[in-house]
Amino acid sequence: MIRRPITRSWAVVLGCLSVLLLLAGYTLVSHRQHQVNPDDTTIPSWSQLSDGVIKFTRLDRKNERWIVEDSVATGRRLFFGLGLGVFFGFAIGMMMGCVTPIEAFLQPPISLLAKVPQTAALAVYFVFFGTGMEMYVAMIAFGIIPALAVTVHLAIKDLPSEMLDKAYTLGASHFEVATEVVFKQVLPKFIDAVRLAIGPAIVFLIAAEMVVGEVGFGYRIRLQFKLTNMNVVYPYLVMLAFFGFALDYGLRFLQAKLCPWYQRDSK
Amino acid sequence: MTLSDQNNFGLQCQGVSHWFGETKVLFDLNLNVHAGQFVSLIGPSGCGKSTLLRAILGTHPPLRGEILTLQNGRLDNADRPGRDRGIVYQKYSLYPFLTALDNVALGLKFDQTTTAFRCLNWAGWKKKRRIFRDRAAAFLDKVGLGKAMHLYPSQMSGGMQQRVAIAQALIMEPEIILLDEPFGALDEATREELQEMLLQFYEENKKAIAEGKKPPYTLIIVTHELNEAIRVGDRLVGLSQYWDWKADGHQRSPGATVVYDKPAPVFRSDERPDYELFADIRWEIRQVVYNPEVLQQRDEHVKLIPTS
Repeated sequence: MIRRPITRSWAVVLGCLSVLLLLAGYTLVSHRQHQVNPDDTTIPSWSQLSDGVIKFTRLDRKNERWIVEDSVATGRRLFFGLGLGVFFGFAIGMMMGCVTPIEAFLQPPISLLAKVPQTAALAVYFVFFGTGMEMYVAMIAFGIIPALAVTVHLAIKDLPSEMLDKAYTLGASHFEVATEVVFKQVLPKFIDAVRLAIGPAIVFLIAAEMVVGEVGFGYRIRLQFKLTNMNVVYPYLVMLAFFGFALDYGLRFLQAKLCPWYQRDSK
Repeated sequence: MTLSDQNNFGLQCQGVSHWFGETKVLFDLNLNVHAGQFVSLIGPSGCGKSTLLRAILGTHPPLRGEILTLQNGRLDNADRPGRDRGIVYQKYSLYPFLTALDNVALGLKFDQTTTAFRCLNWAGWKKKRRIFRDRAAAFLDKVGLGKAMHLYPSQMSGGMQQRVAIAQALIMEPEIILLDEPFGALDEATREELQEMLLQFYEENKKAIAEGKKPPYTLIIVTHELNEAIRVGDRLVGLSQYWDWKADGHQRSPGATVVYDKPAPVFRSDERPDYELFADIRWEIRQVVYNPEVLQQRDEHVKLIPTS
């Protein structure tokens, strides 16, 4: 039967099984590759992988640990870029949704900018912002602002006008309608949009770091890949995956805390 | 007109006409509603009931004529939604992000505090919020939802949602409350319970009048259910495009107007009316308001009611 529910424990068992299969498959492929070429580094064995992990966690010649300096650099860029982008994306979307002249004024550029592939526009950011922190922050922020603004704008347009008229009959001011009715209705959808925007933001950042970075995840992956040190590249990818997962989980948690009604609604 | 006369009006529509391009909807409509009246507004589909309601609400002001409501103690143009008018829709009346309690307390919060007050005087706001919530809880108790106050709208049945929506509008005691087919989506038994609830509020009105006070609740209920109109309203107003406009010198139909306006029998909330007894009222309304074949003078069945 389609969509027949299964028990929780059975679901956990199946989930673990798929991860184990993935790991077993990797071990098998790596093993066969090493029978052909014992010095292979493209599909490193588990012991090679642990060498890689040791390499990026111990102190290098500059007395730095790669993992620490890369995490700090990439994390700071992402934090400020996302922070700025989320703030302005929300503000612009709110203004477009609530004030019709602003909507008419901003809609053409926003919908065009939303279609520009950010990785293709990297050169523009290098020209305007150099290759420092500002460039990364500007690129991430500008990259996610159009999508976030459009989401908020559309979510506001979806609100039934009855809800806004109703608030006026209850004595609300324009500002109160915006903050107490529109904002609260749109918040959970906005958090969903931010969750979706994190993926592209990381793509932009890693791409830029690969091109001009001197430190950071993108830089390290490109450098180690050139040396075919896949035993560093793979753990870095896994860490990126876990990082993205943790961020996503955190936002879902935030959504459940801030908008308990929304979770109930979707069930 | 003296001030006390003015205060007695919840709503005045004077010569209201509305049209969309070539389509004439409302023509020279006059309707005065006194404080404390429960007006049932009926009419065939397409007669402009919703247009009139939106005009009174102020979201779509009429193209000609005036709609006046009591605003800050004097009659004023109702050309935008305001605190003096309440509305209950068939749906979308409640805010999904608020519990029943906070939905009902929301109007008190909007009306009696400002954003600046809530942000800057946190202690004062907390105190007020408790007062608002206590009032909202008492009101919810009155409409039989004492146990459901902390539910979100999505956790409530349709009937409960409409109870909360009515409480949300009534707690504000606006000059006039518009109910736009409020029970249209509910089953028969739930409808009757909610009709009884409205009649309880009518009894509060009667009590207030007996004590010489201004009755707190004035409402216009739009319904397509004639028995509901007769039971809930103390006045039946029929809006119809079927009237003898040729006799008034029009070449084409100028739109709907009030063709029926008579008092309705009044019931106690615990009284289950015998609908058989209203067969003649229903028959008259079907002829005058709903029947395109029967065209009469527009004021033939408009019997203005003496002020109570």
